[in-house]
Amino acid sequence: MHRLEKSFYSKTSMYSFLVLLVLFLSMWVATDQFLHIDMALLGYAISSAIFAVGLTIRMSFWLYRTATNRVASRSMKNLFTKERLKWSAKAVLITLVDNIILQKFIFKRGLYRGIQHLMISWGCLISFAITFGLTFGWMRFDLIDPETYQIVVFNIPTMKMAAHGLFAEIVYNGLNIGAIMVLIGASMALWRRISSYDVKVTQRFEFDILPLLILLSVTVTGLILTVLYTFFDGWMHHYMSLVHQVTVVIMLVYFPFGKLFHVPVRPLAAAVPMSYQEVVKVDTKTCKCCRQPYSNDDQIADVQAILQAQNFDLRLADGTQLSDYCTGCRRRMRALKQMNMEAPKGNPYGPVDTNNGIHLSGFSKKRSEEFYGIDIEQDYKGEKDSEPVSR
Amino acid sequence: MNKIMYLEFERCIGCRACQAACRECGDHDAKERNYVEYVDFTESRQTFPMLCMQCKDPACARVCPANAIQITEEGVVLSAMEEKCIGCRNCTFGCPFGIPKFDFEKNKMYKCDMCYDRTREGISPMCASVCPSDAIRFIDFDEMQELRRRRTQMNLIEGKKPQEGNKWDYVPEFFGVYTDSNQ
Ligand code: SF4
Ligand code: SF4
Repeated sequence: MHRLEKSFYSKTSMYSFLVLLVLFLSMWVATDQFLHIDMALLGYAISSAIFAVGLTIRMSFWLYRTATNRVASRSMKNLFTKERLKWSAKAVLITLVDNIILQKFIFKRGLYRGIQHLMISWGCLISFAITFGLTFGWMRFDLIDPETYQIVVFNIPTMKMAAHGLFAEIVYNGLNIGAIMVLIGASMALWRRISSYDVKVTQRFEFDILPLLILLSVTVTGLILTVLYTFFDGWMHHYMSLVHQVTVVIMLVYFPFGKLFHVPVRPLAAAVPMSYQEVVKVDTKTCKCCRQPYSNDDQIADVQAILQAQNFDLRLADGTQLSDYCTGCRRRMRALKQMNMEAPKGNPYGPVDTNNGIHLSGFSKKRSEEFYGIDIEQDYKGEKDSEPVSR
Repeated sequence: MNKIMYLEFERCIGCRACQAACRECGDHDAKERNYVEYVDFTESRQTFPMLCMQCKDPACARVCPANAIQITEEGVVLSAMEEKCIGCRNCTFGCPFGIPKFDFEKNKMYKCDMCYDRTREGISPMCASVCPSDAIRFIDFDEMQELRRRRTQMNLIEGKKPQEGNKWDYVPEFFGVYTDSNQ
């Protein structure tokens, strides 16, 4: 692999090349050595190739990030560990169904948003599948007799269908169905972006609204195209198909670089139940200070490794790291540190004396020295100084 | 504009008005993002407020595998972008101060954004605008310097001369320099 890598400018360019190669070969096979290629779709094919390269570049850079790399590689390792296989498979399945297919968490954010997102995502998935299937020639319809079509997938003849059957209608209208779904979803989203004050707090036009406009222009021109040749005998059809093609090209080229890039990020969500979920309860990390379990050993190890790789030094004097403490204790440590009350009497893990001599707090009573874990005898002999010790 | 969030922990009286105000802020979805906690409940009823530091180089963003935490041009570290956050909570554990909160239902992280819609326009954040004891303030850079200086003087008058080892006793915390420009 290393040798291969050396023959390219960079890892990313190698991956891009490989992706293009695979695409080209798949076209070669699927179209029976370019015998059945649909030249009308050439523009789409080229922009789809750009889309694939863009996606590869963005995915590569995303995976090189220290944090992503760490989490993704741990998940990969867990996925192929025998003992964890059952749990991992379950985790992937749950994420796939709940998170990606049904998108339950978005419905929890609101029914409106759930419907809106489900419409957009499934509409896009259907349309993308059909578009790529047809442009790369992965799928085609052969007329075997005047009444029957055969669906050919990767040059392998599969099922037959009646040319005017119900199933055929659904297949022909797949793109229209997808387009209508996206149209509904994207309009709902656009309305929300315009009318809700809450989303305006952090909303940016070029990031949040532009992708909606692009999606809408693709669907609207596509639907107009359908209307033109079903009801108007293909009037202006030629110009409209050009306009539609332009919008699709813009969308495909935009996809890897804008908001829509969250789609390929999502599958990483499987890493959470797979590697970090506390439900497994194999090894639960307890706070160094209050002894309460607050996380998972693997996760804290990852966090610490990621921080260290990026030169964050969050170590304390006693060698522990801030992430070894639960969040509550961490907040308290910060406040106490700022007030220089963290360990006024010696033991940093002992109780806090809120009476620091500068600010008398209302309820604090004077306590005996040993309450704070200080050995008076030793101090007296001068063998141990009772200077504040920080952890 | 060059405003600063100025915290004086020991001024906190534990009324939790800041938390109530936080729940009302735009886009906060009726959930508070700040903390009011006891220093040591078994010792006294002293509380302290806690907010995000809006770090220059935020550990939370660095440990996020989804690259979901964005920093605005003013330097405010925003809550996770909802479409990207995968809900791993690395940010909560990576943050040195334990700030980011997590909504398990909606699968998204949310954290103090200094009421971005308000501070962007130079309006004080919700918590600072309601704090009755001035434990949380949103003030000018100069005012902050003045307060710190006065605090040191007070201690000197009281006969508490800061030494190398304890000079930080005499300086209250400040953070969240809102912008770098036109100091
Ligand atoms: S959440 Fe924590 S790490 Fe992130 S900016 Fe705030 S204080 Fe810094
Ligand atoms: S919980 Fe979300 S914002 Fe926090 S680290 Fe994970 S993906 Fe990033």
